[in-house]
Amino acid sequence: MNIRELMVVALASIRSSKLRSFLTTLGIVIGIAAVISVVAIGQGGKAMLMQELEKFGTNLFVVYVNYQEGETSRPSDLQVSDITLIKNVVPEVKYMAPVCYTQMKLRGSQGQKTVQLLGTSADLVHVNNLEIAQGRFLNEEDESAGRQVIVIQEDTAKELFGSEKPLGQRVVIGSTSSMVVGVLKQDTSVLNDNSRQSAYITMSLMRNMTGWTYIHQIYGSATSKEAVDTAMERTKSILERRHNAPGHYEARSMEQEMQSANKILGIVGLVIGLIAGISLLVGGIGVMNIMLVSVTERTREIGIRMALGARRQDILIQFLFESIVLCLMGGIIGTILGYGGAYVVAKIAHWPPLVSWWTIVIAFLFSAGVGLFFGLYPANQAARLKPIEALRRE
Amino acid sequence: MIAINDLQKTYDTGSITVEALRGLSFNINKGEFVAIMGASGSGKSTLMNLLGLLDVASAGTYILNQTEVSALEEKDFARIRNKEIGFVFQTFNLLPHLTALHNVELPMMYAGVKLAARRERATLLLERMGLIDRMHHYPNELSGGQNQRVAIARSLANNPAIILADEPTGALDSHTSLEVMDIFQQLNLDGTTIIVVTHEENIAQHAGRILRLSDGLLIMDDIVQEPLDAGQALSSLRKEAGSI
Repeated sequence: MNIRELMVVALASIRSSKLRSFLTTLGIVIGIAAVISVVAIGQGGKAMLMQELEKFGTNLFVVYVNYQEGETSRPSDLQVSDITLIKNVVPEVKYMAPVCYTQMKLRGSQGQKTVQLLGTSADLVHVNNLEIAQGRFLNEEDESAGRQVIVIQEDTAKELFGSEKPLGQRVVIGSTSSMVVGVLKQDTSVLNDNSRQSAYITMSLMRNMTGWTYIHQIYGSATSKEAVDTAMERTKSILERRHNAPGHYEARSMEQEMQSANKILGIVGLVIGLIAGISLLVGGIGVMNIMLVSVTERTREIGIRMALGARRQDILIQFLFESIVLCLMGGIIGTILGYGGAYVVAKIAHWPPLVSWWTIVIAFLFSAGVGLFFGLYPANQAARLKPIEALRRE
Repeated sequence: MIAINDLQKTYDTGSITVEALRGLSFNINKGEFVAIMGASGSGKSTLMNLLGLLDVASAGTYILNQTEVSALEEKDFARIRNKEIGFVFQTFNLLPHLTALHNVELPMMYAGVKLAARRERATLLLERMGLIDRMHHYPNELSGGQNQRVAIARSLANNPAIILADEPTGALDSHTSLEVMDIFQQLNLDGTTIIVVTHEENIAQHAGRILRLSDGLLIMDDIVQEPLDAGQALSSLRKEAGSI
């Protein structure tokens, strides 16, 4: 018997008990659908997270002070002058911005809003890939001339000024007031908590408001992805020498963050996938159970086939094939359902449903494998029947 | 063609052993039409199963076409059942979810005959059985006589030298029984060896020779001097029906 004939025989037998075949294959359908959708949602989510992280710039790195237990910050830890030096002597560093942050209440003509206020420099717009909706970002002159200017986000602008044009308006921060020179596009990233708004002022203004003579972190961006590690290392070593504090500074790149996020997501995905895989196992046991019933019910058919010249291997292959076809059908339906499920979830969560071709290939091979594995025992039971005993069975 | 010597079959069902055949010896030559008779429990069905290689003897020798059967392996059994023996059963044993045509094709499928060739042969055989207009029907859509003719067509699929029929008329009325016996007699005329197991004397009288079994022993081996002619009986029945 060739494959085509085996297929015909298997399909005829599956058709002869439609409801049972459907119920049997349902276990496989659910198992495969669960695995496919979990993998697709996971892969989509991961791709989306990576895409979002990349928005920040893959060349990005952050330098911060590695405080030991009991240590407190010293004004000399990180200085604006460090940045000027590093930018001059490290060619791998393309942009570098100081960052100081604090919570502040901003007041406008129409309302008020508490934001995270960042003291920084002109470079931050490049380092963080900030998108400007109106006006401009902070520049060198704002800093050197000590201008009282502020850059806010679109949502903040709405809260502070309602429908009024924000550019040129005054924002009151504590006892000082600054002029809005730029509005940043609202970040639609899922990573961004939009209830938390940021506003940007110059370092000098920040110093005036808070009295801080040091900076919290340094945001840098390397000339290329490959240069990130060198840029980080050299920045660190310059800081260590300049402040005579070996091991006092830490640096992490976006690349490293992405890798660790990737690793965590990978493990989470694997665990959920394994749990989904268990349902496939349960489905397989269902198939085996029904195949055993089927062999018992069709003992007479087996006897007739043997009397007509079927060899044991013919019977074995027939039942094995039936089990595989049953599981493959479940696999196909499950893949469609799983992809559909992933698609719906992806639509709701706004991320791409990612079903790679190898996921589908694996799902197919796996469902065929389940059919083979769980069909083997029943098929073997069928093939081992003695023709005369099989014929005598009613 | 068939040479049997001291053939024995014992069923061991745990606590009790049943001696179904207690040493049979006989020969059947090519082209013979033999009826095997006996009451139920006489061992005739057991003998049939042994002759058809559906079961193996406990002792004794069975030589089929110069081959000692006990020396063969299971896969040889399958090949012989497939190509050299055609089975006809009392309850037809057609596969219910296959059409008449597909049922007849089955032995050829196991023999590895290509689809086109076996479809052609199956159609030819069904035509010979007068079932050309029924070939796409399923067994439950056919009468007993029609089903038995499908089964005979199937038994002839691989052109076997021997037809083994186990109570082939047991489930049929007298008229269709005659039809079946007529087919067997015609096949026998063409040279096919026919072995029919039956408990009906008038059926057995169509054969050229009758082996009578009792309690697992051969008690009589008779040549039938004037076998009944099923074809003649049928045509005279038709005439009677016509005259009324």
